[in-house]
Amino acid sequence: MKKLYNIKSFSTLLFLIIVVLPVFCGLVYATLYSFEIVGIINSGFTTKHWEDIIQGSAFWSSIGFSFYVAICSVVISLIFALAMALSWKKNLQKGALSTAIYLPLCFPGTVMAFFMFQFLSKSGFLSRLGFASGVLEDINSFPALINDAYGIGIIITSVVLITPFFVILFSNIYHTENIEAYKELATTFGASKRQLLQKVTLPILLKKSSVTIYLFIIFVMGSYEIPLLLGRQSPQMISVATVQKIQRFNLYDIPKGFAMSILYVLIIMSVLLFLYFRNRDYFKSETTK
Amino acid sequence: MIKRTLQYGFIISIGFPVVFLLVLSLGRRWAYPNILPEQISFANWEFLQQSDSKLFQAFFVSLGISLCVAVFVTALGFVISKFIAYSQRRNTFLVLAYIPYLLSPVIMAIIFQYYFIITGLTGTFLGVIIAQFLVAFPFGIIIYLNFWNAQLKSMEELSYTLGGSRWQTYKKVLLPLSKNALMLCFFQVFLISWFEYGLTNLIGSGKIRTLTVSVFNFVTEANIFYAALACFLLILPPMLLLYINKRFILFVEKTEL
Repeated sequence: MKKLYNIKSFSTLLFLIIVVLPVFCGLVYATLYSFEIVGIINSGFTTKHWEDIIQGSAFWSSIGFSFYVAICSVVISLIFALAMALSWKKNLQKGALSTAIYLPLCFPGTVMAFFMFQFLSKSGFLSRLGFASGVLEDINSFPALINDAYGIGIIITSVVLITPFFVILFSNIYHTENIEAYKELATTFGASKRQLLQKVTLPILLKKSSVTIYLFIIFVMGSYEIPLLLGRQSPQMISVATVQKIQRFNLYDIPKGFAMSILYVLIIMSVLLFLYFRNRDYFKSETTK
Repeated sequence: MIKRTLQYGFIISIGFPVVFLLVLSLGRRWAYPNILPEQISFANWEFLQQSDSKLFQAFFVSLGISLCVAVFVTALGFVISKFIAYSQRRNTFLVLAYIPYLLSPVIMAIIFQYYFIITGLTGTFLGVIIAQFLVAFPFGIIIYLNFWNAQLKSMEELSYTLGGSRWQTYKKVLLPLSKNALMLCFFQVFLISWFEYGLTNLIGSGKIRTLTVSVFNFVTEANIFYAALACFLLILPPMLLLYINKRFILFVEKTEL
């Protein structure tokens, strides 16, 4: 019994060492650096860099732009995914489509971003097709979809990467939650097709997948490879902006980069705690229910 | 009819990037407004016969890192997650695991970087493995926490009641029942590591050239044909996995394993 207790304690300790300690130590160093207590340029405690970040617009515009890209990507993906999962529900369970829908999941962000760059840029494949078919007069007639101010290329790439995931998720929920039976019951009570969709199917699908949807908003907000390849200098997504501050030759930008990363971590932790307290059932398992 | 046409159109559009990357990887010179590269040959693919080529090395560096990370996370995560799952503070541990899981790996790399510098791990193979392990381990725990349940616990206790030792219980009861969970964790972590760029580039200081790092290097050098080739190599293992079992490609929280 004592031996089992020791293994339990050791496992818990190992979990804390691997999961909590590195993040904690990293945050401590980042905090000290951002206040100029440690680091190459340390000149004693100062809140200058934090004031610059909190009062300046760079950090907040990066957070705002990341949030805008994430919301647009996830909402557009949800619309496409719901339409596909509901209209192709039988084909998604068996046949060619049931396997083909997994293919985009084989694409890492790096590869999809590279493909989109070659496909949607002014000199890309789509532009060449447009020129060959006579739709475009020259290369400049093609709209700027890559490295644009509205993040269109980033949003399109994220949508292409996320949509298959949501299609599979909704298709699985549709069958595991037995939505067909609820729809039959509602039909016997005289519900119309529109009411079935609005009052039965959509609420169940969205409610069951709500936490996953929130998590995806966070994932897209933190994405790095796609905006690095398809974004531009301003506005920048938060990961790209933070790395750029850290890697710049100007040493006075490094404390600002650390302050930005701490703020970002704090925002994500707050959102996670909010999700946890709002959706406690989601975090429970059969061992604790 | 329209529904079927749309489905076929969708399947073709899904397969298009694979064909596009393959054609581009075989190409040379692609001036505007040519729709296809002017030369199509296997010249770019000749790296397969040259063990000193950058791509040949990058492929095996990526493979080595991903396999190491996947093996360590799968093995260690399996043992530790069991105690976490049955712990009274399970939910607290789960929330703690979600923090690094939700953070962008490149942000994690920024806050870890100092410790990797002072230990001399930046720019090393081992450093990249450790950094990726720290990012992937919480994900492994989250995968396994969906797996451990009351029924498994009862079977484990039954094994002890019938006189089974700890080793016998693991070998004869838990491991056979955990086959799917172990494989899902292994392949998911392998893919996380295989797809990783930001953290690998920062901790590896550009010295550890994985395939993802190579893609960005080739893009910077404006060598789109080699970049396409590296991209094609990047999607090969996941596609092979898809062929073996599509369920290993995707993990959705709160699903039965």
